[in-house]
Amino acid sequence: MIKAGQIERGTALLIKGKPFVCIDREFVNPGKGSAFVRLKLRNPGSGQILAETMKTQDNAEEITVDDRDCQYLYNDGENFHLMMTDTYDQIEVPMSAFPDYELLLKDGETYRCTFWESELLDLQLPPKVVYLVEEAEEAIKGDTVQGATKYVTTECGLKVKCPIFIKKGEKIRVNTETKEYIERVNS
Amino acid sequence: MNIEDKLNAARSRSKMYSSIRSFFDGRDYLEVDTPTLSPDLIPEPTIENFSTTFRNEFMGSKDLYLIPSPEVYMKRLIAQGSGSIYEFSHCFRNSEQLGRIHNIEFSMLEYYSVGMDEKDSIKLTEELINETHLPDAPDYALPPFRVMSVNEAMKKYCDIDLDKCQSQRALYEKALKLGLSESQGRESWEQTFNRIFLTFVEPNLPQDRPLVLDKYPSQIDCLATNYDDGPYKRRWEMYMGGNEVANCYDELKDVEKIEEYYRKEYAKLVRERSETGTVIPDVDLDFASLFENFPQCSGVAIGMDRLLMSQMNIPNIEGVIFFPFSDIIH
Repeated sequence: MIKAGQIERGTALLIKGKPFVCIDREFVNPGKGSAFVRLKLRNPGSGQILAETMKTQDNAEEITVDDRDCQYLYNDGENFHLMMTDTYDQIEVPMSAFPDYELLLKDGETYRCTFWESELLDLQLPPKVVYLVEEAEEAIKGDTVQGATKYVTTECGLKVKCPIFIKKGEKIRVNTETKEYIERVNS
Repeated sequence: MNIEDKLNAARSRSKMYSSIRSFFDGRDYLEVDTPTLSPDLIPEPTIENFSTTFRNEFMGSKDLYLIPSPEVYMKRLIAQGSGSIYEFSHCFRNSEQLGRIHNIEFSMLEYYSVGMDEKDSIKLTEELINETHLPDAPDYALPPFRVMSVNEAMKKYCDIDLDKCQSQRALYEKALKLGLSESQGRESWEQTFNRIFLTFVEPNLPQDRPLVLDKYPSQIDCLATNYDDGPYKRRWEMYMGGNEVANCYDELKDVEKIEEYYRKEYAKLVRERSETGTVIPDVDLDFASLFENFPQCSGVAIGMDRLLMSQMNIPNIEGVIFFPFSDIIH
C-alpha cells in the first residue's frame, strides 16, 4: 500500500484489478478545500487513460514491477514492436498507450521498460535525448535578430523549435517531456 | 528563465500595480497596509500555516503566524468604519506543490467594497481587468467574463444535479458510478464533491475567456452568506486559462453564524493537525463580536502572480517571480 500523496510519475498501481502507471500527478487544494492529488493513469494494454482524484491520505495499491531492457524495432501504425534484449522475445504494445512516442523512439535503440507479470506497463524515455536533424529551413541571410527561431525535423519526425543556426545533419539534444530544444551537440 | 525575461515581467507587474492603484483611488477606496505577522488567524483547516515566535525580555514570548490572506486585519478595519479598502500584500501558505501555479509566498490583491454584494463584485472586477490589463494580454485573460454556477458546471460536465444529491450517500454513489475509487474511511460530502469536481469538471471548464464560477455548495463552509432559496453560498471563484485567480464572498456578518464557523472549523483544524503534527495557529475567539456593526460588504482576493501569468501568457508562476521558492531553497 502507498499513500496517494506519495504517488509519483511512474508509480505502478492496481486499480479495480487492472494495472495502471501514473503518467501525471498534481497536488490540488481547491479553494477552501482540503488537499487532493489529481492523477492521470495509463493502462498500457488497452491504452485507457484514467483520471482519478484521491485524498492525499488515502491508500492506493502499489504493485511490484520489474525493469528490463528492450530494443525498439519499429511501429506498424498501430503497435510498437520491441524485443527483450535478454530473451529475444518480441512484444507489441498499442501506440495509443504512448501518445507521440513514435516521434521520440529511435529504431534499434534500447529502452528501459517496466513490466508487471508479463505485461508492459511503461516505456521509459531518457529525459534528454540526442537526435539528428534531418530537415531544417534555411536561415535567412542577414537575419541576426537575437533569439530568432525556426523549426527543424528530427530523424524520428519530431518538429522542434530551434535557434536559426541549427543546420541539417547536425545533432541536437531534446527534452523528451516538453519536446523542446535544449542545446546543439558537437559530433 | 533569464534575467531579461524576469525584468520584463517585473516591468509589467509595476505597470499593472500602478493602474490598479489608480483604478481604486479613483473610486475612493483607501489603500491600507496591515500586518503580515499575526498572533491569530481565521480558522481555515485546509490552509497550512507558517509559525514563528516573538521574543521580548520584558513581555515574554508569543507565537505568531504569517498571514495566508490579509482578511483578518482588513475586516477589523471595515468593522471600525474604514469604508471600502484595498491592499497589496504578501501571503504565505505552507505545504503546497511548488511550481506551475504555486509559490508558498505569493502576492495578493484584496479589496472590500462596502455597500456591494458578490454580484456587484463581478461587475467591479470586470471593470478592473478591463481598465488595468496589459496591452498584449491574450483573449482568455480579458473581459467579458463568462458566468456559470457550480451546479450548471456539474450538470454539464458530469451529469450530476447537486439539488438532487444533497446527501453524502447519493453523491458518493454518483462518484463511484463515474469511476472514482472508493474512499478509505468516511468521506465528507465536501470531499466527495471535490473529487468529482477536480476530476471531471475543473479540467473541462471553458478557457476562452475568464470564467466566474458562482454559487458554491453550502457544504463547503466559509465566511460567505447563504442564498435564501437553496443550499448555495454567495461566493464565486474566477478562472483564467484554467487556473483559479480570484475568490469572492458576499461577506457574512451574522455574529452567531461567525461564532459557529469559528467553533466548528477550529475544532476541525485542531483535530486534523494534531494527527499530522502541523502548525495549529491561535484564533481570536472574540473575532465574531467585530461584526455587530459590520456593513453590507463584498470582498475579492486576486492572486497577483497568477493574474500576471495570464496577462503575459506565461505558463509557470516562476516566470513572474524573481526568486521563486524552489530556486532559493536549493
